[in-house]
Amino acid sequence: MTGDASKAQAALQDTVREAALRSARDEPPSDRLWFFRDARWRCLAVSEQDLQAEPGILEEEAEISPGAPMQIEKLDPNQLAVWISAAPEPQRSALSLFYLDEFSLREMLVLLEMTAGELSELISSGRRQFQAWLDAATPYEGE
Amino acid sequence: MSIFQIRPNYSSLARCAPITEKPGTDRAMRVAIQRARRGKKAAPFGQQQAFDSAIAKLVRAIPVDAQVGDWFANESPIPSVKRRWKKILLNPAVLAIALAVAVIGGVFVYHVREHLRDFPGADKARRLLSVATSTRSVLLDPLQTDAGALSDLFFMKHRLEHYDIPAEFADFRTLGSRVFDDDEVHGVAQIWVVEKRMQFFLFPAGKNPKDGSVTDFSDWRFVELEGWTGAVQQRNGVCFMAAIRGREKDLAPYLEKRKQ
Repeated sequence: MTGDASKAQAALQDTVREAALRSARDEPPSDRLWFFRDARWRCLAVSEQDLQAEPGILEEEAEISPGAPMQIEKLDPNQLAVWISAAPEPQRSALSLFYLDEFSLREMLVLLEMTAGELSELISSGRRQFQAWLDAATPYEGE
Repeated sequence: MSIFQIRPNYSSLARCAPITEKPGTDRAMRVAIQRARRGKKAAPFGQQQAFDSAIAKLVRAIPVDAQVGDWFANESPIPSVKRRWKKILLNPAVLAIALAVAVIGGVFVYHVREHLRDFPGADKARRLLSVATSTRSVLLDPLQTDAGALSDLFFMKHRLEHYDIPAEFADFRTLGSRVFDDDEVHGVAQIWVVEKRMQFFLFPAGKNPKDGSVTDFSDWRFVELEGWTGAVQQRNGVCFMAAIRGREKDLAPYLEKRKQ
Protein backbone atom coordinates (compact mmCIF):
# COMPACT_ATOMS: atom_id res chain seq x y z
CA MET A 1 0.00 0.00 0.00
CA THR A 2 2.88 2.38 0.62
CA GLY A 3 5.02 1.18 -2.26
CA ASP A 4 7.89 1.00 0.19
CA ALA A 5 8.35 -2.08 2.35
CA SER A 6 10.30 -0.23 5.05
CA LYS A 7 7.54 2.35 5.47
CA ALA A 8 4.92 -0.38 5.63
CA GLN A 9 7.00 -2.20 8.23
CA ALA A 10 7.35 0.96 10.30
CA ALA A 11 3.58 1.51 10.14
CA LEU A 12 2.97 -2.07 11.22
CA GLN A 13 5.45 -1.70 14.09
CA ASP A 14 3.60 1.43 15.24
CA THR A 15 0.33 -0.52 15.16
CA VAL A 16 1.78 -3.35 17.22
CA ARG A 17 3.24 -0.83 19.67
CA GLU A 18 -0.13 0.90 19.99
CA ALA A 19 -1.80 -2.45 20.65
CA ALA A 20 0.76 -3.24 23.35
CA LEU A 21 0.20 0.14 25.00
CA ARG A 22 -3.54 -0.38 24.97
CA SER A 23 -3.14 -3.82 26.48
CA ALA A 24 -0.90 -2.38 29.21
CA ARG A 25 -3.68 0.08 30.01
CA ASP A 26 -6.16 -2.82 30.22
CA GLU A 27 -7.82 -1.55 27.08
CA PRO A 28 -6.82 -4.19 24.51
CA PRO A 29 -8.14 -3.80 20.95
CA SER A 30 -11.70 -5.00 21.13
CA ASP A 31 -12.01 -5.90 17.47
CA ARG A 32 -9.90 -8.52 15.72
CA LEU A 33 -9.81 -6.32 12.63
CA TRP A 34 -8.46 -3.43 14.68
CA PHE A 35 -4.83 -4.28 13.71
CA PHE A 36 -5.58 -4.15 10.01
CA ARG A 37 -7.71 -1.04 10.26
CA ASP A 38 -5.06 0.78 12.29
CA ALA A 39 -2.22 -0.37 10.04
CA ARG A 40 -4.16 0.73 6.97
CA TRP A 41 -4.72 4.23 8.30
CA ARG A 42 -1.05 4.53 9.25
CA CYS A 43 -0.04 3.40 5.77
CA LEU A 44 -2.42 5.94 4.25
CA ALA A 45 -1.01 8.67 6.46
CA VAL A 46 2.54 7.73 5.41
CA SER A 47 1.66 7.59 1.73
CA GLU A 48 0.02 11.02 1.87
CA GLN A 49 3.46 12.48 2.44
CA ASP A 50 4.82 10.78 -0.68
CA LEU A 51 4.33 11.56 -4.32
CA GLN A 52 0.72 10.93 -5.24
CA ALA A 53 -0.50 8.91 -8.20
CA GLU A 54 -1.00 11.10 -11.20
CA PRO A 55 -4.66 11.52 -12.06
CA GLY A 56 -5.59 9.47 -15.03
CA ILE A 57 -2.57 7.21 -14.79
CA LEU A 58 -4.82 4.15 -14.49
CA GLU A 59 -7.72 5.38 -16.55
CA GLU A 60 -7.04 3.05 -19.44
CA GLU A 61 -9.08 -0.12 -19.21
CA ALA A 62 -9.36 -3.41 -21.09
CA GLU A 63 -11.57 -6.43 -20.74
CA ILE A 64 -9.99 -9.42 -19.05
CA SER A 65 -8.46 -11.65 -21.67
CA PRO A 66 -8.34 -15.47 -21.50
CA GLY A 67 -4.54 -15.27 -21.62
CA ALA A 68 -4.28 -12.95 -18.61
CA PRO A 69 -3.09 -15.68 -16.19
CA MET A 70 -0.17 -16.43 -18.52
CA GLN A 71 0.63 -12.73 -18.82
CA ILE A 72 0.58 -12.43 -15.02
CA GLU A 73 2.92 -15.40 -14.65
CA LYS A 74 5.57 -13.49 -16.54
CA LEU A 75 5.46 -10.60 -14.07
CA ASP A 76 7.84 -9.99 -11.24
CA PRO A 77 5.93 -9.83 -7.91
CA ASN A 78 7.43 -6.43 -7.17
CA GLN A 79 5.92 -5.08 -10.39
CA LEU A 80 2.49 -5.96 -9.07
CA ALA A 81 3.29 -4.40 -5.68
CA VAL A 82 4.38 -1.18 -7.37
CA TRP A 83 1.33 -1.14 -9.63
CA ILE A 84 -1.07 -1.56 -6.69
CA SER A 85 0.74 1.07 -4.60
CA ALA A 86 0.37 3.50 -7.50
CA ALA A 87 -3.41 3.15 -7.54
CA PRO A 88 -5.43 5.94 -5.92
CA GLU A 89 -7.23 5.46 -2.65
CA PRO A 90 -9.55 3.76 -1.85
CA GLN A 91 -8.93 1.49 -4.85
CA ARG A 92 -5.43 0.75 -3.61
CA SER A 93 -6.72 -0.51 -0.26
CA ALA A 94 -9.52 -2.44 -1.91
CA LEU A 95 -7.19 -4.24 -4.30
CA SER A 96 -4.61 -4.87 -1.55
CA LEU A 97 -7.14 -6.45 0.77
CA PHE A 98 -8.91 -8.38 -1.97
CA TYR A 99 -5.80 -9.95 -3.48
CA LEU A 100 -4.32 -10.78 -0.09
CA ASP A 101 -7.14 -13.35 -0.12
CA GLU A 102 -7.25 -13.37 3.64
CA PHE A 103 -10.43 -11.44 4.30
CA SER A 104 -14.07 -12.27 3.79
CA LEU A 105 -16.26 -9.77 1.98
CA ARG A 106 -17.82 -8.69 5.25
CA GLU A 107 -14.39 -8.06 6.80
CA MET A 108 -13.26 -6.06 3.78
CA LEU A 109 -16.39 -3.91 3.97
CA VAL A 110 -15.73 -3.24 7.65
CA LEU A 111 -12.06 -2.39 7.05
CA LEU A 112 -12.69 -0.20 4.04
CA GLU A 113 -15.90 1.34 5.38
CA MET A 114 -17.72 1.05 2.08
CA THR A 115 -20.65 -0.84 0.56
CA ALA A 116 -20.46 -4.08 -1.37
CA GLY A 117 -21.43 -2.24 -4.56
CA GLU A 118 -18.61 0.29 -4.13
CA LEU A 119 -16.07 -2.44 -3.43
CA SER A 120 -17.29 -4.47 -6.39
CA GLU A 121 -16.92 -1.46 -8.68
CA LEU A 122 -13.42 -0.66 -7.42
CA ILE A 123 -12.21 -4.24 -7.86
CA SER A 124 -13.73 -4.76 -11.29
CA SER A 125 -12.35 -1.45 -12.58
CA GLY A 126 -8.99 -2.39 -11.03
CA ARG A 127 -9.05 -5.66 -12.98
CA ARG A 128 -9.69 -3.88 -16.26
CA GLN A 129 -6.99 -1.29 -15.56
CA PHE A 130 -4.49 -3.97 -14.63
CA GLN A 131 -5.38 -5.88 -17.79
CA ALA A 132 -4.70 -2.73 -19.84
CA TRP A 133 -1.37 -2.31 -18.10
CA LEU A 134 -0.62 -6.02 -18.61
CA ASP A 135 -1.36 -5.74 -22.32
CA ALA A 136 1.13 -2.92 -22.52
CA ALA A 137 3.79 -4.51 -20.31
CA THR A 138 3.59 -8.15 -21.42
CA PRO A 139 1.54 -8.47 -24.60
CA TYR A 140 -0.28 -11.78 -24.91
CA GLU A 141 1.12 -13.80 -27.78
CA GLY A 142 -1.19 -16.80 -27.50
CA GLU A 143 -3.65 -15.80 -30.23
CA MET B 1 -22.44 -1.33 4.69
CA SER B 2 -24.14 -4.64 5.16
CA ILE B 3 -24.15 -7.10 2.30
CA PHE B 4 -27.47 -8.45 3.57
CA GLN B 5 -29.75 -6.25 1.59
CA ILE B 6 -33.38 -7.09 0.93
CA ARG B 7 -32.51 -8.02 -2.65
CA PRO B 8 -28.78 -8.67 -2.98
CA ASN B 9 -27.19 -7.52 -6.21
CA TYR B 10 -25.77 -10.89 -7.18
CA SER B 11 -23.85 -9.68 -10.23
CA SER B 12 -22.19 -7.02 -8.09
CA LEU B 13 -21.32 -9.61 -5.44
CA ALA B 14 -19.95 -11.99 -8.07
CA ARG B 15 -17.50 -9.29 -9.19
CA CYS B 16 -15.84 -9.47 -5.78
CA ALA B 17 -16.20 -13.22 -5.33
CA PRO B 18 -13.55 -14.69 -3.02
CA ILE B 19 -10.52 -16.05 -4.81
CA THR B 20 -10.46 -19.26 -2.81
CA GLU B 21 -13.35 -21.05 -1.15
CA LYS B 22 -13.65 -19.88 2.41
CA PRO B 23 -15.69 -21.69 5.05
CA GLY B 24 -17.39 -18.55 6.37
CA THR B 25 -18.66 -17.25 3.03
CA ASP B 26 -22.02 -15.52 3.34
CA ARG B 27 -25.07 -17.15 1.83
CA ALA B 28 -25.70 -14.21 -0.52
CA MET B 29 -22.17 -14.55 -1.87
CA ARG B 30 -22.54 -18.33 -2.32
CA VAL B 31 -25.75 -17.75 -4.28
CA ALA B 32 -24.05 -15.06 -6.37
CA ILE B 33 -21.19 -17.44 -7.21
CA GLN B 34 -23.56 -20.28 -8.11
CA ARG B 35 -25.58 -17.98 -10.37
CA ALA B 36 -22.46 -16.65 -12.03
CA ARG B 37 -21.14 -20.17 -12.66
CA ARG B 38 -24.38 -21.43 -14.15
CA GLY B 39 -25.62 -18.29 -15.88
CA LYS B 40 -24.91 -16.71 -19.23
CA LYS B 41 -21.81 -15.02 -17.90
CA ALA B 42 -20.18 -18.27 -16.79
CA ALA B 43 -17.26 -17.81 -19.21
CA PRO B 44 -16.35 -14.23 -18.16
CA PHE B 45 -16.75 -15.27 -14.55
CA GLY B 46 -14.35 -18.17 -15.11
CA GLN B 47 -11.85 -15.75 -16.65
CA GLN B 48 -12.28 -13.42 -13.70
CA GLN B 49 -11.59 -16.27 -11.26
CA ALA B 50 -8.52 -17.36 -13.19
CA PHE B 51 -7.31 -13.75 -13.36
CA ASP B 52 -7.80 -13.26 -9.61
CA SER B 53 -6.11 -16.57 -8.78
CA ALA B 54 -3.08 -15.63 -10.86
CA ILE B 55 -2.76 -12.25 -9.17
CA ALA B 56 -3.26 -13.76 -5.70
CA LYS B 57 -0.50 -16.24 -6.50
CA LEU B 58 1.75 -13.36 -7.52
CA VAL B 59 0.85 -11.44 -4.35
CA ARG B 60 1.91 -14.43 -2.26
CA ALA B 61 5.24 -14.33 -4.06
CA ILE B 62 5.89 -10.70 -3.06
CA PRO B 63 8.95 -10.88 -0.80
CA VAL B 64 8.15 -10.17 2.82
CA ASP B 65 10.68 -8.67 5.16
CA ALA B 66 12.14 -11.34 7.44
CA GLN B 67 11.19 -9.46 10.60
CA VAL B 68 7.57 -9.01 9.52
CA GLY B 69 7.52 -12.63 8.43
CA ASP B 70 8.61 -13.66 11.92
CA TRP B 71 5.76 -11.72 13.48
CA PHE B 72 3.21 -13.72 11.58
CA ALA B 73 5.11 -17.00 11.35
CA ASN B 74 3.47 -18.52 14.38
CA GLU B 75 -0.03 -17.16 14.02
CA SER B 76 -2.57 -16.55 11.33
CA PRO B 77 -3.05 -12.89 10.44
CA ILE B 78 -6.77 -13.52 10.55
CA PRO B 79 -7.53 -15.64 13.56
CA SER B 80 -10.20 -18.19 12.91
CA VAL B 81 -13.59 -16.99 13.96
CA LYS B 82 -14.36 -18.43 17.34
CA ARG B 83 -18.04 -18.93 17.64
CA ARG B 84 -18.86 -17.67 21.08
CA TRP B 85 -21.48 -19.61 22.97
CA LYS B 86 -23.32 -16.45 23.90
CA LYS B 87 -23.54 -15.41 20.28
CA ILE B 88 -24.68 -18.88 19.24
CA LEU B 89 -27.32 -18.98 21.95
CA LEU B 90 -28.66 -15.56 20.96
CA ASN B 91 -29.11 -16.65 17.36
CA PRO B 92 -32.88 -16.48 16.64
CA ALA B 93 -32.86 -19.87 14.93
CA VAL B 94 -31.10 -21.49 17.88
CA LEU B 95 -33.45 -19.73 20.29
CA ALA B 96 -36.49 -20.95 18.36
CA ILE B 97 -35.18 -24.52 18.26
CA ALA B 98 -34.28 -24.41 21.95
CA LEU B 99 -37.73 -23.07 22.80
CA ALA B 100 -39.42 -25.76 20.71
CA VAL B 101 -37.30 -28.49 22.31
CA ALA B 102 -38.06 -27.07 25.76
CA VAL B 103 -41.80 -27.07 25.06
CA ILE B 104 -41.70 -30.61 23.66
CA GLY B 105 -39.57 -31.70 26.61
CA GLY B 106 -41.95 -30.02 29.04
CA VAL B 107 -44.98 -31.73 27.52
CA PHE B 108 -43.14 -35.06 27.53
CA VAL B 109 -42.11 -34.69 31.19
CA TYR B 110 -45.64 -33.62 32.10
CA HIS B 111 -47.09 -36.72 30.46
CA VAL B 112 -44.46 -39.01 31.96
CA ARG B 113 -45.06 -37.49 35.39
CA GLU B 114 -48.80 -37.75 35.00
CA HIS B 115 -48.66 -41.39 34.01
CA LEU B 116 -45.78 -42.40 36.26
CA ARG B 117 -48.11 -43.38 39.05
CA ASP B 118 -50.84 -44.66 36.79
CA PHE B 119 -52.78 -47.71 37.82
CA PRO B 120 -55.55 -49.83 36.27
CA GLY B 121 -58.61 -47.60 36.27
CA ALA B 122 -56.68 -44.31 36.28
CA ASP B 123 -58.39 -43.26 33.06
CA LYS B 124 -61.80 -43.91 34.59
CA ALA B 125 -60.79 -41.97 37.69
CA ARG B 126 -59.74 -38.97 35.56
CA ARG B 127 -62.98 -39.11 33.65
CA LEU B 128 -64.93 -39.06 36.91
CA LEU B 129 -62.81 -36.14 38.12
CA SER B 130 -64.11 -34.24 35.10
CA VAL B 131 -67.62 -35.23 36.22
CA ALA B 132 -66.80 -33.85 39.67
CA THR B 133 -65.76 -30.50 38.20
CA SER B 134 -69.12 -30.08 36.46
CA THR B 135 -71.47 -31.58 39.02
CA ARG B 136 -74.06 -29.32 40.66
CA SER B 137 -75.63 -30.32 43.98
CA VAL B 138 -79.11 -30.30 42.43
CA LEU B 139 -78.17 -33.31 40.32
CA LEU B 140 -77.87 -35.50 43.40
CA ASP B 141 -80.66 -36.90 45.58
CA PRO B 142 -80.54 -35.11 48.94
CA LEU B 143 -79.38 -37.50 51.61
CA GLN B 144 -78.01 -36.58 55.02
CA THR B 145 -76.31 -39.48 56.73
CA ASP B 146 -72.84 -40.90 57.34
CA ALA B 147 -71.04 -41.84 54.15
CA GLY B 148 -70.26 -45.29 55.53
CA ALA B 149 -73.98 -46.06 55.74
CA LEU B 150 -74.46 -45.77 51.99
CA SER B 151 -72.88 -49.16 51.20
CA ASP B 152 -76.07 -50.91 52.19
CA LEU B 153 -78.14 -48.46 50.16
CA PHE B 154 -76.10 -49.10 47.02
CA PHE B 155 -76.40 -52.85 47.48
CA MET B 156 -80.07 -52.93 48.38
CA LYS B 157 -81.34 -50.37 45.89
CA HIS B 158 -78.91 -50.72 42.98
CA ARG B 159 -77.41 -54.20 43.43
CA LEU B 160 -73.93 -52.72 43.60
CA GLU B 161 -71.83 -55.12 45.63
CA HIS B 162 -68.75 -54.10 47.62
CA TYR B 163 -69.42 -50.39 47.14
CA ASP B 164 -67.88 -49.72 50.54
CA ILE B 165 -66.61 -46.39 51.84
CA PRO B 166 -63.09 -46.69 53.31
CA ALA B 167 -62.84 -46.11 57.04
CA GLU B 168 -60.96 -42.82 56.47
CA PHE B 169 -64.09 -41.26 54.96
CA ALA B 170 -66.87 -43.38 56.48
CA ASP B 171 -67.78 -40.80 59.15
CA PHE B 172 -68.21 -37.86 56.81
CA ARG B 173 -71.73 -36.40 56.59
CA THR B 174 -73.29 -36.55 53.18
CA LEU B 175 -75.31 -33.92 51.31
CA GLY B 176 -76.57 -36.16 48.53
CA SER B 177 -75.84 -39.15 46.33
CA ARG B 178 -76.72 -40.69 43.02
CA VAL B 179 -75.95 -43.73 40.88
CA PHE B 180 -75.47 -43.22 37.16
CA ASP B 181 -73.99 -44.73 34.05
CA ASP B 182 -71.36 -42.72 32.23
CA ASP B 183 -70.50 -43.26 28.57
CA GLU B 184 -67.38 -45.15 29.54
CA VAL B 185 -67.98 -46.07 33.16
CA HIS B 186 -71.08 -47.96 34.22
CA GLY B 187 -72.47 -48.26 37.69
CA VAL B 188 -70.92 -45.16 39.19
CA ALA B 189 -71.96 -44.11 42.67
CA GLN B 190 -71.38 -40.46 43.47
CA ILE B 191 -71.60 -39.01 46.96
CA TRP B 192 -71.36 -35.35 47.93
CA VAL B 193 -70.12 -34.71 51.49
CA VAL B 194 -70.15 -31.62 53.69
CA GLU B 195 -66.43 -31.77 54.45
CA LYS B 196 -64.72 -29.30 52.09
CA ARG B 197 -67.42 -30.09 49.47
CA MET B 198 -65.57 -33.29 48.66
CA GLN B 199 -67.09 -35.86 46.32
CA PHE B 200 -66.70 -39.61 46.56
CA PHE B 201 -66.96 -41.95 43.62
CA LEU B 202 -67.32 -45.71 43.62
CA PHE B 203 -66.97 -47.52 40.32
CA PRO B 204 -65.96 -50.92 38.95
CA ALA B 205 -62.20 -51.41 38.75
CA GLY B 206 -60.48 -51.75 35.42
CA LYS B 207 -59.69 -55.28 34.32
CA ASN B 208 -56.37 -56.45 32.93
CA PRO B 209 -56.96 -56.64 29.16
CA LYS B 210 -54.78 -59.76 28.89
CA ASP B 211 -56.37 -62.07 31.39
CA GLY B 212 -59.39 -60.13 32.63
CA SER B 213 -58.11 -60.18 36.19
CA VAL B 214 -58.51 -57.32 38.67
CA THR B 215 -55.58 -56.40 40.89
CA ASP B 216 -56.61 -54.60 44.04
CA PHE B 217 -54.39 -52.13 45.87
CA SER B 218 -54.85 -50.90 49.40
CA ASP B 219 -52.53 -47.89 49.22
CA TRP B 220 -53.77 -44.52 47.98
CA ARG B 221 -52.98 -43.51 44.44
CA PHE B 222 -53.58 -40.08 43.02
CA VAL B 223 -54.93 -38.59 39.83
CA GLU B 224 -55.13 -34.89 38.94
CA LEU B 225 -57.27 -32.99 36.47
CA GLU B 226 -58.03 -29.31 36.04
CA GLY B 227 -57.26 -28.34 39.63
CA TRP B 228 -58.97 -31.36 41.13
CA THR B 229 -57.20 -34.24 42.83
CA GLY B 230 -58.51 -37.71 43.47
CA ALA B 231 -57.21 -40.28 45.96
CA VAL B 232 -58.03 -43.75 44.72
CA GLN B 233 -58.10 -47.09 46.48
CA GLN B 234 -59.26 -50.40 45.07
CA ARG B 235 -60.78 -53.26 47.01
CA ASN B 236 -62.85 -56.25 45.95
CA GLY B 237 -62.84 -55.08 42.36
CA VAL B 238 -64.34 -51.69 43.20
CA CYS B 239 -62.50 -48.39 43.12
CA PHE B 240 -63.16 -45.68 45.66
CA MET B 241 -62.10 -42.14 44.83
CA ALA B 242 -62.21 -39.13 47.11
CA ALA B 243 -62.13 -36.03 44.93
CA ILE B 244 -61.30 -32.56 46.19
CA ARG B 245 -60.71 -29.22 44.53
CA GLY B 246 -57.05 -28.74 45.32
CA ARG B 247 -53.84 -30.67 45.41
CA GLU B 248 -52.60 -33.92 46.87
CA LYS B 249 -51.56 -32.16 50.09
CA ASP B 250 -55.19 -31.13 50.68
CA LEU B 251 -56.20 -34.80 50.80
CA ALA B 252 -53.20 -35.95 52.78
CA PRO B 253 -54.58 -35.10 56.27
CA TYR B 254 -57.60 -37.34 55.70
CA LEU B 255 -55.49 -40.24 54.51
CA GLU B 256 -52.98 -39.93 57.35
CA LYS B 257 -55.76 -39.94 59.95
CA ARG B 258 -56.39 -43.61 59.31
CA LYS B 259 -52.72 -44.51 59.68
CA GLN B 260 -52.56 -42.81 63.07
